[in-house]
Amino acid sequence: MAASIPDDIFFASITEINQKLKAKEFSALELTKAFCGRLEQLGPRYNALALSLRVPALKAAKDVDGDLKRERYRGPLQGIPFGAKDLLAYAKHPTTWGARPYAGQVFDYNATVLNKLTKIGGILTGKLAMVELAGGPSYRYASASMTGPGLNPWDPTRWSGGSSSGSGIAVAAGLVTYALGSETSGSILTPAAFCGVTGLRPTYGLVSRHGAMALSWTLDKIGPLCRSAEDCGLVLHEIAGADAEDPASAGKSFYYAPQFARDLKEVKVGFAPVDFSEWADPAARPDFTKALETVRSLGVQMVETKLPEFPYGPVIGTIISSEAAAIFEPLIQSGNVDQLADQKQIAGLKAGLEIPAKDYLKAMRIRSLIQDAVRVLFDDFDVLLAPARLAPAQKITQPLDRPSSDRPTPKEHGLTALIPAGNLAGLPALSLPCGFADGMPMAIQLVGRPFSENLLLTIGKFFQEKTDWHKRRPVLQG
Amino acid sequence: MSRQPETRNQKPETKFTRRALVAALSTSAALLAQTPSLPLPSNGDEELKAVKDTIQQNSQALAKFDLPMSTEPAVHFRA
Repeated sequence: MAASIPDDIFFASITEINQKLKAKEFSALELTKAFCGRLEQLGPRYNALALSLRVPALKAAKDVDGDLKRERYRGPLQGIPFGAKDLLAYAKHPTTWGARPYAGQVFDYNATVLNKLTKIGGILTGKLAMVELAGGPSYRYASASMTGPGLNPWDPTRWSGGSSSGSGIAVAAGLVTYALGSETSGSILTPAAFCGVTGLRPTYGLVSRHGAMALSWTLDKIGPLCRSAEDCGLVLHEIAGADAEDPASAGKSFYYAPQFARDLKEVKVGFAPVDFSEWADPAARPDFTKALETVRSLGVQMVETKLPEFPYGPVIGTIISSEAAAIFEPLIQSGNVDQLADQKQIAGLKAGLEIPAKDYLKAMRIRSLIQDAVRVLFDDFDVLLAPARLAPAQKITQPLDRPSSDRPTPKEHGLTALIPAGNLAGLPALSLPCGFADGMPMAIQLVGRPFSENLLLTIGKFFQEKTDWHKRRPVLQG
Repeated sequence: MSRQPETRNQKPETKFTRRALVAALSTSAALLAQTPSLPLPSNGDEELKAVKDTIQQNSQALAKFDLPMSTEPAVHFRA
């Protein structure tokens, strides 16, 4: 007899659901049916769903129930429904990369991260929508996707953020318990911040990208979007690790162990007051200020700092444009690039083929200096703290490459370039919901040294023990 | 990596440590790029021209960096 799945379960943590599965409050099959129904019903309303995987998901759920019956426990992700950004290959099913020219693309193998999760009983219920080609090299409108603009569950007239749009939406709306996204420069942190969920960008090389669409070989990362920092730790624990199929694999594993993190009294957190007092949207400043005080109350040492000055934008723009154009040269040369939805993106891919090698190499040489500068900065700090995004999500019709306010630009730059700087240096980052502005979620980001995910997640866990922003739910339409 | 080039006919290059180089470069506020707010392109040709202009601006911003030969492209990350 089918158990009714309470609404709270759609917003429960990984640990809570796993405990209920083990306690047989409901079966994995019942849970999966409920999540699949919700994903299929609500996903398209928010342009979050690329492909329902109900059939394989139900089969996997039956297998999990068999394992649970025999008390074969495979960890906290066993039986947990999740979604994956549609740039991850899932054998014999379409993987569209969010782009019309690849609408019929089918691979005969799985991305490494999907194999890792399904092997331990994770239930992949759907492929999630994304900005076409993960947004590379650049795009102007939220509608740059085969599935339409990602609509924010907190206000569907606003954007979900991208390029992991569906991943952010699906977690925020309780369509999956967690989702995988990818980041080249901001594509996990932005939808996590805009949708009010917790997002983790791992250190470059920590998580295999085998089976993922390449946008920039030297920048791409795969990471989770979840309900909490703790859930991010549990997912990263499973998806991290060496992979000979990924040339950039760092060969390192990750063990989520907040109990072994450093005493927070020893942790130095760098922040720039100007980020919060002048750069941040005025409506967001009160909650940002409270978030700073909450982090301070954890016992860490808060010290003012700023990023060294580099042309982060031109450097990362040149690298992404050059690598994306090289990767998608067949698409560009065939003319099929014109099937993309966003005119700026089409132009950017075409123009990227003409970037001189000297410029790409110059950008990569400056990137070396940026990495050195960041390393020097982390001689004095363990973590950098800044707004994840300075303003709430834009309206879906608003051009994304134009300023959303006419406020004067502050003179000091603080840590405002932390997203490109962190990506250029391959650093891990954690986005934590910290309040609301104009009814939309806001978030802070914590950035650490390479492979310092445990420290970031521990701070995040303690922050979320003192706040409840990550537990807030949007009122869904329909 | 900071391999020093060997050249016979040139004066020895001034030796920079990366840390010193970073410190020197970090003092110039002019190195920060600003993206001007321009009208939106109205068709594909204008879009392509606008993107090429941005690429050119990026190229100019990168060109302001005078790097020693020993500064090699970033090819790997060290923890």
